[in-house]
Order: sequence, then C-alpha cells, then structure tokens
Amino acid sequence: MKHQQFENWIIEETDLTQEEHRELQAHLNQCSQCLALYQTIHQIAHLFKTTPEPIPEPDFSGRWLVRVERAERRKNRFILGITLGGISLATAILLVGVGFQLNSAAPGFTQMLLNMVTMIANWIVFLNQLGNIAAPLFRVSVKLISPVWLYTFGISVSIITAIWIFALSRSRTLQKEI
Amino acid sequence: MSNIEAQWIAEAKTGDKDAFAKLVEKYQRPVYSVCYRMLGTPTAAEDAAQEAFIRAYQALDRYDPNRSFATWLLSIASNYSIDQLRKKKVTILSMDNETYSWMAPPDPGPSPEKAALEKEKQALVQAILAELPETDRAAIILQFWHDYSYEEIAETLGLSSSAIKSRLFRARRLMAEKWQEMQIVSATPKTSAAKRIAHETSTI
Repeated sequence: MKHQQFENWIIEETDLTQEEHRELQAHLNQCSQCLALYQTIHQIAHLFKTTPEPIPEPDFSGRWLVRVERAERRKNRFILGITLGGISLATAILLVGVGFQLNSAAPGFTQMLLNMVTMIANWIVFLNQLGNIAAPLFRVSVKLISPVWLYTFGISVSIITAIWIFALSRSRTLQKEI
Repeated sequence: MSNIEAQWIAEAKTGDKDAFAKLVEKYQRPVYSVCYRMLGTPTAAEDAAQEAFIRAYQALDRYDPNRSFATWLLSIASNYSIDQLRKKKVTILSMDNETYSWMAPPDPGPSPEKAALEKEKQALVQAILAELPETDRAAIILQFWHDYSYEEIAETLGLSSSAIKSRLFRARRLMAEKWQEMQIVSATPKTSAAKRIAHETSTI
C-alpha cells in the first residue's frame, strides 16, 4: 500500500479493520513522517477533548430578553421612519403635482396665492362677525338657564367621556390579547 | 426534540419572548461555545451568541420542525460567526488579554497550577483554530466539540458532504503542521504549552 493512503487514514482518523490497523502499525514502524503525523493528530485531539468548554456569564437569557426588546424597538422605529418618510415623500409629490395643475388652470401662480389669502381673510372676518352675534346670545342664555342644568350637563359630558376612554382602552387590551 | 421544547417553540412563534428565553437557557452553552471557538474572545462570543439567538427568534417562522432545533441554532451561530470574521476580521486575542474568572472549568477549586494549564490550553486551542479559514474552523469545531457527522456539518454549514470531507481533511493537515511548528520553536509560552501537552499525551 502507498504512503499517501496511510497518511489519509491518519488525518481522517478512519475507522480501520483489524487487518488495516496491522498494516498501519507496520507502516508506522518504518515511516517516521507518518509516525510524527499520527502522534500530532492524537495530541491535537487530546488537547481539544481535555480543554474545558467555555461557558457564558450567568443570566445570559436575561440579557437576551433585554437585547431582543431593544432590537424590536429599533425595528419598529425603523418601520415608523420608513412609513413617515414614504408618506412625506408621497405628500410632497402630491403637492407638487397639485401645484402644477393649479398653476396651469389659474392665470398665474401668484394670482392664485393672492386669491387664497383673500379667501382666508374673508373667512376670518365672517367668523369674527359670527362671534359678535353669538357672544351676547350666549351671555343671555347663561343667565336664563338655571346653574343646576348647566352643572348636570357638564357632569354628564364628563361621565360619557370617561366611559368612552375606558371602553377604548379595554378594546385595545383585548386586541393585544387576541 | 422533546414535547416541552416543541411547546416553547410554538409559543415563541406567537411572539412569546419568555418561551423563547427558555430555549435560550437550554441552548446557551453549545451556541456560546461555537461562537467562542470561532471568534476567540468572551466579549465577541457573548455578542455573537446573543445575536444568533435574536436572529433565530426573528426567523422562527422559517424553522422546519422536522429538522433538529440544535442543528438549526448552531447553523445560525456558525454562519453569523463566519460573517463576523469575514467582515470585521476579528482579532484572535490571547487569553491573557482579558479576565476569564467566570470561564474557569466547573471544578469548584482548581489549583493555581491546574488553572494556569487550563488557561494555556485554551490559548493553544484558539491559536491553532486561528490558523484555519473561517468555514474550515467551523467544521472542525462542530466535529470535535459537538461530535457532528459529515452530514450534520454539511447541513449546518449549507455545504455538500464531500466538500466538508475535503475541508476537514485540509484543516486537520494544517493543524498538524501548525502543531509540529510549535514543537520545533519553543520560545513562546504557547509553544512550551504545546510541548507539555504533547508530553501529557505520550504518557497516556
């Protein structure tokens, strides 16, 4: 048998038959190179098997829980950032598109802007006048309606709001449980 | 896989982190051990093992229950460590560079001589492993410390059995050459440790 075959057996630590084992022993008695390799392979195997297993610091799983929470928060923030970024981009594109459309429809962009400002100013004046009419009416009605009714109305609104908030939080908790 | 383990996996799939933490508790040692042998320092091993468990938790939906959970976890840990070695080129540090009090063997009170020898052995193991290419190193670790067959190593590292066989052959030869070099040059503490271990083996 060739030297190479013995070398392969040694390196691979092949399971040998009794006959093969005898052949290998005979070769080791003649070949110092293979003998050195044989010893080396056994020394390395011995070193690996006798070296203690490295163990993690205590509370490894506790640290994992903290880390996974942090990783999930980071992931959620990333998703939120991407979503908001996408919405912002879509809005910007929409606004630019609307701007172009309006610009082509109106005689001029500056004129359109001026019209918008005038319209907003008119609305403010209108609401102010509405306030001037409503304020005396409110003052008179407060004097006409009994304070007991006003208190009853206030308390009822507060209770309804509290019930609404409680129902909302309860439904969220149920959703999480599902 | 035991029934309780299957139950933990099923619960973890629904988002129960505490159930997965029980799996972390159970498999922390083999996963940490692979990462430590791959990366060579407790800090890097802790980081890689934690990250491997996070990746496993996030990819739990893709886990095939017909496959061994341990093999699947070690596959994630090995591949993550290989990536780390390739990306960051993690320096394999000497055991003397950090404090390893918690990494001492389970023996409650080893003598100073024994502790020193264990430390030397750890350093020597890492020095030999550091000579190997990343994937070959992972294959050697799975074979020696986890008693994996060629097929299991192939499944873990996503390679063919024949590729693993040739990689292991090459790695073992390289380790033998490195070891023999250490025997010849006896100037450093590591090489003297190699000589001592060689003597220790010859007396067995």
